[in-house]
Amino acid sequence: MKTRQKRKDPRPAKAPGPGKRAQNKERTKKEILRAALDLFSKKGFFRTTTKQISDRAGIAEGTLFNYFKTKEDLALYFFEQEVAGLIEWYRSQAKLQKSSLTEKLFAIIHRHLERISPYEDFIGAVYLRALQPVSRLNPLSLETQELNLRYLRFIQEVLREAVEDEEIPKLGDFGPYAFGLFHLATISYWLQDVSPAKENTLALLDRSLKVGNSILRRGTWEW
Amino acid sequence: MGMVKERPTGRVGRGLRIGKLGLALTGSYLGYQFQNLFLNEQERPARRKSFNQKAARQVRAELESLKGPVMKLGQILSTQFHFMPEEALSELANLQMRAPGMHPTLARAQFKASFGKSPDEVFRTFTEEPFAAASLGQVHRAVTKTGEPVAVKIQYPAIRKAIEDDLKLLRSAALPVRLTGHAQESVFAEIEQGMLLETDYANEGRNIDFFRKQLKTIDYVRVPSVHWDLSTDRILTMSFVSGEPLLDFVTNARPSQAMRNRIGAVLVELFHLQIHHLRALHADPHPGNYLLNADGTIGLVDFGCVKKFSPGFIEIMRAFEDRVWLQGEEHCDRMARLIWGPAILKKARVARELLKRAIHFYGMLFPGLTGGGRVVDFGDPKILKAMFRIFNDNLRNKTVNPEFAFYARAEMGLYNLLHLLRAKVDTSAILEKFDANPKSLQESRP
Repeated sequence: MKTRQKRKDPRPAKAPGPGKRAQNKERTKKEILRAALDLFSKKGFFRTTTKQISDRAGIAEGTLFNYFKTKEDLALYFFEQEVAGLIEWYRSQAKLQKSSLTEKLFAIIHRHLERISPYEDFIGAVYLRALQPVSRLNPLSLETQELNLRYLRFIQEVLREAVEDEEIPKLGDFGPYAFGLFHLATISYWLQDVSPAKENTLALLDRSLKVGNSILRRGTWEW
Repeated sequence: MGMVKERPTGRVGRGLRIGKLGLALTGSYLGYQFQNLFLNEQERPARRKSFNQKAARQVRAELESLKGPVMKLGQILSTQFHFMPEEALSELANLQMRAPGMHPTLARAQFKASFGKSPDEVFRTFTEEPFAAASLGQVHRAVTKTGEPVAVKIQYPAIRKAIEDDLKLLRSAALPVRLTGHAQESVFAEIEQGMLLETDYANEGRNIDFFRKQLKTIDYVRVPSVHWDLSTDRILTMSFVSGEPLLDFVTNARPSQAMRNRIGAVLVELFHLQIHHLRALHADPHPGNYLLNADGTIGLVDFGCVKKFSPGFIEIMRAFEDRVWLQGEEHCDRMARLIWGPAILKKARVARELLKRAIHFYGMLFPGLTGGGRVVDFGDPKILKAMFRIFNDNLRNKTVNPEFAFYARAEMGLYNLLHLLRAKVDTSAILEKFDANPKSLQESRP
């Protein structure tokens, strides 16, 4: 994509001049994550031990701790990968980038849900953890700020396209924050959605975005 | 096949869940409609105007486009809840089994949610822009892996739940009138069943199978075939039926009067064929559901709303054809009882008046049977007007047999189509054809 060259790629593997060691390190981290996710999806987040994860990844338990001190660190890494993956996916969707803002935003959240759906139990556990003030996963923790920022800038970029196309008025920084909150709220709803194939979430997402978009177009809260 | 299991229904208090999560936004079908009032700016002035129009005109305009269960709902509300403000009634009556449109991403997502695979995996090609709106969803063109062009109907997500919620809420809201007996429980049950049935595309698929089988010997009608292996209760894949929607056909192809007459005759024949032989009615006489080809054949689509008639109802039709009212008072009573239910006989004067009008109307439709001219000019609005008058009389007198109401609506739809076509039809000849050969089709059934 044209836009990608301008931006700093979030993945260190492609950053200019990473050493072989750094590349290997990144590969091991990914392998650990893959092993952990596999176990989480089968046994659940809480019932999976670090021993099981290191066994599955084929490394010593001590080595695991070199990479991730806690399961929380692992979760944080997971989200980093998710956000990076989501941004990369969006930029590869040439057709989507020509569609309406409502559809773009729908696609972003829906794609995210699709990606995380095998790890529903894990995400649910992480959500509970994130509510604790001392947790590193807490949205206010410094560790999550970097991740947040990357996400917010990405949404800012999507919204800016819509402003340029005069789809919506200028929103400033309020836009990405508001959408981020909506994104989180949708995930919470999705986690609790027991409808067949979670179709209630689809309906909620669609209707909410349409209403939100309609409010923005008018540039006022008054209907 | 990714058939989704039926949700458990009938749990007490489910309707009250609407507000629970603050999700009235998605939890309510009425909510969708309400929202649409605000979302669709172009329609707003039109709606505001309609608020100010006279009730009769509203009913008339709305009935032309109404769909089955909702009409039942609107109708019941107008008959049973006559204390409701006129504006609210007309808005309710305006409800159609319509769903919000889906953008390509949502249509794909919903297909995958219901079928388990994305349309791109399942079909050779899938056109992501819908080509038609359908009951509770939209229709996309696609080509199967074997190269057959198909129409894929996709239901808007969670619409069944939304309708269920509304019905539960309606039941709760209507509890006082149900307790006093002003509204009957059976009526609610019927509305509910009808509406929920329409959300089940598998049921529609069975309707298509039924019509296809029954109409296979009729060369002027084309009915799609269902691809059951590519369908679920929310996805319906059918063979593609060519043709232009009736209204477009009339404006674009500018058919000659002879062609209009021919199509009109076919429509009338098709209607009576269903009543007399199928004993079931494709009850959605929306002009968009009739696809016309240049050779005058008609493609039928949208079988979500099919009514199968009871023997009692068939008897009503027979009674009209045999003109039993000429055979004495007791025949008239029996007919009135069949049409309006036994309660009507307590209001003998009303019954006689209603029956007289119905018979007069029948005479207008089939003048040839009573010694008048043969050809009925449907371009003349007097038939539609007479029909609306009868309908309104029935509403005012709170005397509507639900089955008859259903039939009346379909019939009104037919005359509306014929009026749009400005067709001149020898209706009596068509009816005589059925009389002369009443069993021909039934005998040909396997």
